[in-house]
Amino acid sequence: MTQLIKTLIFIILISLHSLAKAIEVIDILGGKAGEIAIAVLPFEGDGSEKDIKFNEIVKADLERSGFFRAIKTDGINNIPKDIKDIDYSYWTALKAELAIVGKVEKNDTQVKVTWDLVDIFKQKLITTMEYVGNPSQGRLIGHRISNLVYEKVTGTPGVFHTKIGYVKKFDDKKYTLNISDLDGFNAKAVVTSTQPIISTRWSPDGKKIAYVSFEKKKPVIFVQDLSTGERKLVANFKGNNSAPAWSPDSKQLALVLTYNEFSQIYVMNADGSDIKRLMRSRYIDTEPAWAPDGQSIYFTSDRGGGPQIYNINLDDKEIKRITFEGKYNVSPRLTPDGKFMTFITQEGGKLKVAAQNLKSNQVLKLTKGPNDESPVFAPNGHMVLFTLKNSGNTSKIGTVSLNGFKFVPIEVGANLIQEPTWSPFDF
Amino acid sequence: MKKKILLTALVALLFAGCSSTPINDAPAPSAAAGSGNEGLDLDLLRSDSLLTQRSIYFDFNKYEVKAEYQDIVNAHAKYIADHPNAKATLKGHADYHGSHEYNLALGQKRSVSVKDVMNLKGASDSQIETVSFGEEEANQNCQGSQCDKDRRVDISYDVE
Repeated sequence: MTQLIKTLIFIILISLHSLAKAIEVIDILGGKAGEIAIAVLPFEGDGSEKDIKFNEIVKADLERSGFFRAIKTDGINNIPKDIKDIDYSYWTALKAELAIVGKVEKNDTQVKVTWDLVDIFKQKLITTMEYVGNPSQGRLIGHRISNLVYEKVTGTPGVFHTKIGYVKKFDDKKYTLNISDLDGFNAKAVVTSTQPIISTRWSPDGKKIAYVSFEKKKPVIFVQDLSTGERKLVANFKGNNSAPAWSPDSKQLALVLTYNEFSQIYVMNADGSDIKRLMRSRYIDTEPAWAPDGQSIYFTSDRGGGPQIYNINLDDKEIKRITFEGKYNVSPRLTPDGKFMTFITQEGGKLKVAAQNLKSNQVLKLTKGPNDESPVFAPNGHMVLFTLKNSGNTSKIGTVSLNGFKFVPIEVGANLIQEPTWSPFDF
Repeated sequence: MKKKILLTALVALLFAGCSSTPINDAPAPSAAAGSGNEGLDLDLLRSDSLLTQRSIYFDFNKYEVKAEYQDIVNAHAKYIADHPNAKATLKGHADYHGSHEYNLALGQKRSVSVKDVMNLKGASDSQIETVSFGEEEANQNCQGSQCDKDRRVDISYDVE
């Protein structure tokens, strides 16, 4: 897959002006930076193929982030194809702050997209770029445009080119582990089983997915190589084998084993060798999640009565309680900078996605529930991917932005879609 | 006996199609099926009014074996103690609410709770494997008391 990215042939930077309005997301967590109104105009020469409309791809990406509001461009005559055609007073009247104009040139062997990001208020070009790829890379080029626009505005790289993994449960005792683009396109099944699959975890080096399968009449852990498709049974000990969690260097896995006891956390090499028990308790200890600095592990335990989230320092084995609000706090995952934790919390009988600032311990509920599950941060920490369980034996996945708590579903079918994971930036 | 189990474990590995990872483990309980039914009193297992009862139900958020199920658990414990070749699997379950992994841990807590009662009645740990399916076989659409039957432990034997 790394190959795919590399074959996006070349990127020419023609000019670059930094947008004065860089936003520090961390500062605004809990508040909401107003959405930036952006006109993503149809690209000249685009739209002959149904699935590739660059402005639609970019619009959907930017709206997912919670930082942008796309201005409707339907029915507008005299769409500018070039920066010199822009009627600034017209777009100012529509309250557009930014605009993207572009041009597509296609032939059998390549697609070339030239585009400009324009500041409408200052009547100024922010960036103009030319992206060239082979014809199958059209959507990826669209996502790369979104990434750069996102970075110009927020100061943080976008994640619109990244992949996700998720489990699909069919009615007829069939489960698949799929990967797709973040927007649900280019989906393919990488594992098919008659038994449940849970706890999918994309490795930080982007090369593998660890998951729990029940195909041995109990939970066991597999690691699957995404380039070769080869899978390896890495944990099949007596009792349950579950909750794999990659170390930041992808060399180790924390996992949960039971033998004939309650769930307990162990650490082993990613190939299944050199297993060691992390700690010994008389309670449930599960759902390990490595801190990105590799120095500690967050986990869920019922040692305080109900499930709460704790942290164990790997050097001195000191344990700290992390969550205090509410009676049910589970499924911790960290931002790449380790400053925030997302988890599931129960409030008013509803299970919601929450985020906690690990310095101030301020907690924010990002969703309304009632049966949300399995949150995981985007590789840039700006969104959370999670499962929404509906009534009627269906569920879907979607993202919620930390800025503005904007929820956008990911359309990957009408089955039970659950247990999502998110690739790193590079995969 | 031991050789046979090793062999079945090897066969199971071959069928799983996995690579060279050494599986430092006992075989999965199912793999032991067919390794001999000598002295297992299968008729007793299939006809006894208590031994034919295989599900133990739990209250919401509770893990103790309720008084009404003690006789069933005791009967299975006695059967296991009396039949050293018997191998039992205790499979815990939880309802669908909440985290899949935490529910797996809750199901396990229930199966360990049943095992602990069995141990008191002389059943050996070496003949019992406690596992959990968490919410994976639960009714994903239950309301209120409809979810009660998902909070349980199922007892099964490898010969079956």
